[in-house]
Amino acid sequence: MAPATHSGSGLRRRRLGVETADAAWSGWFTSSPPGRNYVRLLEQRPQVADALVLDKNGVDVTPRPLYCADLHAAKPNKLLSSQEGLLSSDILASYSMYQNTMNRSTMGQFTRSALGSSTVSKSSMSTTVSMAEDLEEPSYKHEKLASFTDMRVMRAAPETAITKEDLEKNIEILLTETDTLRFFDLPTVMISVESEEAEKVIHRNNKYETLCRNRAGNDLYVERMMQTFNGAPKNKDVQCDKIILEDQGVMATAWDLYDSYNALELALAAKPSAVDSSSKANALSKDRDHTLPGSATDKTSETSSLMDLESVILTKVHEDEEDHADTIMKSDKFLQDLFFMERVLMENIFQPKLAAYRQLPVLKEPEPGEPEDVLEGEKVEEVEEVKKEEEEEIEISTEQSTIPANLERLWSFSCDLTKGLNVSSLAWNKTNPDLLAVGYGHFGFKEQRRGLACCWSIKNPMWPERVYPSPYGVTAVDFSIGTPNLLAVGYYNGTIAIYNVQSSSNVPVLDSSESPQKHVGPVWQLQWIEQDRGSTGDDKREFLVSISADGRISKWVIRKGLDSHDLMRLKRTTISSNKKGDKEKKGEALISRQAPGMCFAFHPKDTNIYLVGTEEGHIHKCSCSYNEQYLETYRRHKGPVYKVTWNPFCPDTFLSCSADWGIMVWQQEHLQPFLSFYPTTHVVYDVAWSPKSSYIFAAANESRVEIWDLQMSTLDPLIVNIANPGIKFTTVLFAKHTDCLLVGDSDGQVAVYELRNMPSASDSGRGDTINALLGCKSNQPG
Amino acid sequence: MTEVEETLKRIQSHKGVIGTMVVNAEGIPIRTTLDNSTTVQYAGLLHQLTMKARSTIRDIDPQNDLTFLRIRSKKHEIMVAPDKEYLLIVIQNPCE
Repeated sequence: MAPATHSGSGLRRRRLGVETADAAWSGWFTSSPPGRNYVRLLEQRPQVADALVLDKNGVDVTPRPLYCADLHAAKPNKLLSSQEGLLSSDILASYSMYQNTMNRSTMGQFTRSALGSSTVSKSSMSTTVSMAEDLEEPSYKHEKLASFTDMRVMRAAPETAITKEDLEKNIEILLTETDTLRFFDLPTVMISVESEEAEKVIHRNNKYETLCRNRAGNDLYVERMMQTFNGAPKNKDVQCDKIILEDQGVMATAWDLYDSYNALELALAAKPSAVDSSSKANALSKDRDHTLPGSATDKTSETSSLMDLESVILTKVHEDEEDHADTIMKSDKFLQDLFFMERVLMENIFQPKLAAYRQLPVLKEPEPGEPEDVLEGEKVEEVEEVKKEEEEEIEISTEQSTIPANLERLWSFSCDLTKGLNVSSLAWNKTNPDLLAVGYGHFGFKEQRRGLACCWSIKNPMWPERVYPSPYGVTAVDFSIGTPNLLAVGYYNGTIAIYNVQSSSNVPVLDSSESPQKHVGPVWQLQWIEQDRGSTGDDKREFLVSISADGRISKWVIRKGLDSHDLMRLKRTTISSNKKGDKEKKGEALISRQAPGMCFAFHPKDTNIYLVGTEEGHIHKCSCSYNEQYLETYRRHKGPVYKVTWNPFCPDTFLSCSADWGIMVWQQEHLQPFLSFYPTTHVVYDVAWSPKSSYIFAAANESRVEIWDLQMSTLDPLIVNIANPGIKFTTVLFAKHTDCLLVGDSDGQVAVYELRNMPSASDSGRGDTINALLGCKSNQPG
Repeated sequence: MTEVEETLKRIQSHKGVIGTMVVNAEGIPIRTTLDNSTTVQYAGLLHQLTMKARSTIRDIDPQNDLTFLRIRSKKHEIMVAPDKEYLLIVIQNPCE
């Protein structure tokens, strides 16, 4: 009954409300301003249908309709359906809630109030319309809700088993256009003055205005107050899951943008490049490689570092990990990185030595406690060498008086591979001043073992860059001038091989072992010569000259293979001075007419002329134009001449050393040596002029390395470095741009010495100065 | 492969080298001469630093890229060769 009374009063209110909706209910519905300023359309009335509402006990609590009628139209349907869509969850929740908590007597009102307010807040309808509906809404909504729930229940029921055939069969999908669904319709409350309805509306508005004016003292209208019962409010708490918020930030870096644009360009340029999706589920690292523009790269770059650490092993299969590890180990980039790392380590270990070699300031490691400004010396490393050289020279000159010149050992190139082998030759690379070729092989016939040719780099003194093993001892090495990656190696068995040091394979590029003109004796020296072929119009042609113990000097040209051509056949010559030459005469007839050649040296200025040192002790001056005769013969040495070398500054002077313990300085025109030295009673294996001064040369004999300075003294060497017992020094080589000397010994070590406190030469070695020196010393007898 | 192994062995046996580590992009050690926890710690920290360093280099010039990173501290020097798929880390004590 309560609802009846309510409905009755409500009805009364309702009637009033139709006309005076805004006045009475404006307080309640905030969205309804007094409608004076615009034309309001009074739409259709809502329509109520027969509905049945049951509460949980099954009691019929259908609110009776407040007024029957035909005021319902399609619009509230639409409204409700639209609202349902928006509010169904709320409605359901509130519905079920209220159903549980309230008794049926008050349900209608509460639902109405709650739902009504909610509907008003959701839809900004005109108040009359919403008011008209709200009383019917509960019933309507209930019906709708019931049907909705029914529908929902029904939907859950059918679950047929889906067979595989069903999945695989083709299902036709027809797409058709549905009717237009209206989800929201907000009718206007304003119409144009010029429209058709305008007159009616204006008329109605005018009527309304008159009505309102007349209202004041009219008997028709009675003011009456009513009190509404406000139900007790109740608070209801709802708990929901915490809404997790995440902050996502991205920094648009310059490289990120560049990468994205680049990726787009690449994708456009190479369309068929399928991204190779390997079987590894390596999403993180692959994503960085993927050409995904914009947000994807942002995401991966931003979060990948975090994800890397956190999701370490979780989703990965073990096999995939192993495969990937192997790929890394085998990749070229890894090898290269290892290579660099090794060099960096070397730099750290050898830093003071390398700095001394390169004439840079030595970096001192700051001990804890030392002032930190020592570290700033690091930046000085970048200073050009030229300046440093000047400073070094000044330093040297000031210290000259106090400390004698000496050799300071910096480091030595040696490793396990080379232990025990005899260093037979050294050669610098012509373009890369850090690359050194070393040949290992024994000199004597009885000591022959396997040989080795190695390329060492200054940057890694502990392991050679290239290793070329061979069964025969290596007796000569030289780098090519024109193609600096070619290394020529001469062997004890007379073979000459040419290696390409750029590739890491051990196989020589060219080999003379098949050639019919190969040498049959050990190749004692190799040199690449560039000769100007001015007449034919070719630019400098380079060929390889070799001299060997079979008495031939051959010129090798690389055409399709190694082609050789004899420059000279060394004949045994008779000794001009009268000696009991019985042995020679006999030897001449019987054994061989060839004299084994030990060394040669091409004139630095005129590559047509060259000197040859033979085993007999003679030095012949020959020319490329004559291959039968010698131009000159210099006889003085009594033993095999191991090395001849021209003075780089003075074109007429050359130096020779031999097994007769002697070193001799000759002049081209004179057949007698200008100077001769017999420092020790040991065989002198190697001599070399210094590239910086025309007076200084180095000599290696069995027991010591000597540096001679002709300017200072012709009797004693300037510096003497004594070898450890059991080790013989076999080769010397000066380093071109630094004050260093390389000495190879019989234990497989190539030691690098720095020449310190050398007398500051007024040098740069002009030819005239040494001539002056020579001039003032007359030819010594003998 | 053998060349890689040889070079790695040589590096590990050099004077002053405290440890050598190769870790992949996720921080899992592939080869290491130190214990696992230290390796993982180094890998994680150096990875972040490498990312930052690379970002710095590329911000200045996007066509440039980081090839090597050396950090010298009082006690030793850490050298990192970074790559997209791995990190090669060597710790050396150069003072001896």
